[in-house]
Amino acid sequence: MEAASEQKSVYLQEHEALPAVGPAWFMQRRRDAMAAFERQGFPDRRLEAWKNANLTAMTQQHFTAAAAGGVADGGLAAVAALVPEALRLVFVDGHFSTSHSDLSSLPTGLRVQSIASALAAGDSVLEAHYGRYAEVDTHPFAALNTAFAEDGVLIDVAPGTVVDMPVVLVFLAGDAVDGKAVYPRVLVRAGSGSEIRLVQHHAGTGTQAYVSCPVVELVVEANAGVQLQHLQEEAPKAWHLGVVHAELGRDARFNLHTVSTGARYGRTDVYVNLNGSGAQAAMNGLYLVNDGQHMDYHTWVRHRAEHGTSQQMFKGILDGKGQSVFDGMIHVAEGAQKTDSQQQNRNLLLSRRALARSNPRLEIYADDVKCAHGSTVGQLDPDALFYMRSRGIGEQEAKGLLTFAFANEVLESIALEPLREHVRERLFALLPGNETVRKLV
Amino acid sequence: MALLEIRNLHASVAGEEILKGIDLSLDAGKVHAIMGPNGSGKSTLSKVLAGHDGYEVTAGEVLYKGRDLLELATEDRAREGVFLGFQYPVEIPGVANTYFLKAALNAIRKHRGEDEIDAMAFLKLIRERMKLVKMDESLFKRPVNEGFSGGEKKRNEIFQMAVLEPTLAILDETDSGLDIDALKTVSEGVNALRNPERAFLLITHYQRLLNYIQPDEVHVLVNGRIVKSGGKELAQELEQSGYALFEENAA
Repeated sequence: MEAASEQKSVYLQEHEALPAVGPAWFMQRRRDAMAAFERQGFPDRRLEAWKNANLTAMTQQHFTAAAAGGVADGGLAAVAALVPEALRLVFVDGHFSTSHSDLSSLPTGLRVQSIASALAAGDSVLEAHYGRYAEVDTHPFAALNTAFAEDGVLIDVAPGTVVDMPVVLVFLAGDAVDGKAVYPRVLVRAGSGSEIRLVQHHAGTGTQAYVSCPVVELVVEANAGVQLQHLQEEAPKAWHLGVVHAELGRDARFNLHTVSTGARYGRTDVYVNLNGSGAQAAMNGLYLVNDGQHMDYHTWVRHRAEHGTSQQMFKGILDGKGQSVFDGMIHVAEGAQKTDSQQQNRNLLLSRRALARSNPRLEIYADDVKCAHGSTVGQLDPDALFYMRSRGIGEQEAKGLLTFAFANEVLESIALEPLREHVRERLFALLPGNETVRKLV
Repeated sequence: MALLEIRNLHASVAGEEILKGIDLSLDAGKVHAIMGPNGSGKSTLSKVLAGHDGYEVTAGEVLYKGRDLLELATEDRAREGVFLGFQYPVEIPGVANTYFLKAALNAIRKHRGEDEIDAMAFLKLIRERMKLVKMDESLFKRPVNEGFSGGEKKRNEIFQMAVLEPTLAILDETDSGLDIDALKTVSEGVNALRNPERAFLLITHYQRLLNYIQPDEVHVLVNGRIVKSGGKELAQELEQSGYALFEENAA
């Protein structure tokens, strides 16, 4: 493919022109990632994991890395302040913005630092973990991020530290981000026995067309717990291709709650490796897909040790000609006995033209495990609609109530109340008869 | 003028005619029972009256308060005071009974030009009506019918009826599958709601219900037609002879 090789070369050229921003090991990992991208190129539909992705409109254009110093207006300050009681880090176009951030009250045992400053300080945690996990050889956008990211955040929780306040990471699309690519990067190391709650919030409100390509790596050590609330609310013309990657040690707990409503094309790949025995992963997802949007979750859960548990519940609501993909891989390695793994994907189509694809994949090489999966794609229950209407509830209101009920199971599990309210509002906006529903629930 | 006037009603499901000419006249304040064997069209009649779109009316008319009932949407029939107690009440996961009933009540009030009910008045109303059917208050917070026993579901139907205060209540086999205690409770609920403005159409498979609710008239529905009408003694007669006699007559 001529066009593809041309695209590769523009990103490679861009990469080669980048100034050195860190020590030799860092530059080497970037070069390796760039080489990995070059080998793969942008994915096309021949690749199983990308067969339903139409990225042509994105790959035909060269989105150059956004520079630091961008400004985000358009009500995004309110988005940044959504969770009032929090340690807050705000990034504009992927670059750390000190003016919006609030790190004044860092508790003992919690280190939060920009990756640029950690690099300058020769941080050993960063060197030990940065870029070690995200799978650049098989995920072209993980590779692209690793090749281009130069700022981001390192969150290091000392062993035994329980961080009470949530740490909120807000990634805003700047006013001048049109035609640019942003590469947010996060590394979290939760030391043994520590606990932390994180929010990863991507937001944009304007008409800019940009590529948002974040990578979050989480290292959850023995008996530590990490809760991640992930919100993808990019601007309507954006492309979002994100990776969340968690490595779980013995008895580690990882709790992901993800909601995607934004971007014209929004895909998040979640990798969870349960490396230590007794590790637990619980993931809830909700995607609200409007006309013209394409939303995609790929989950990769690998049980590599005994007594691991993983639960997934992903729900999608699609309207108009919205399209979605849920692709959930559960891999249970030989020897990962007593694994208990559950995966559910449910899709509700509000329109006849919407299309939801659901693709559970199980690869089980141990013989003493419990694995269950289920997937449904359907419309609102006509019997329930008739029942409600027979009580006087209007058709639109009945549909709204049923749709709300469908999503509410996932909504209720959002632990942070202001975010729960925020997502509820997103949902209401999609509901038929939403005024009635809003008053009731 | 009768509250409900059914004239020569024919209805089909998927092209198959189930109701083959029903005539029935029900006055305000009266209780009529419709009895019939399986497949006679009892449930079809109730669904047609409530406006289920899976049933096609091919001939005849239904007048309710002198108006053409069949031209109204399902929800408008309910707002005009028609209530269907379901044979198999539907479970609605995630929708709490409280939201459900409040939405219904407010829709009906709005239709009548009344204000939405305030939270306190609503709570008072539902507490009072729950007592009527001896329904456990904890059920009210739960999703509609989800995980309810058969008896609880039927009580919930009567409870909803008590809250919505319909003018015409059609109860489709509300007694089926109930033990004697639940049957008594449900019957007491219905009896408590009888008044001169309200009419009931009790659709039942079993004569036993009529020991607890005294009907003014009994109709025997066989093969899509009412083959005999009479007083409550007709139910006794049926109990002894069964439907076989009527089925022969109908054929």
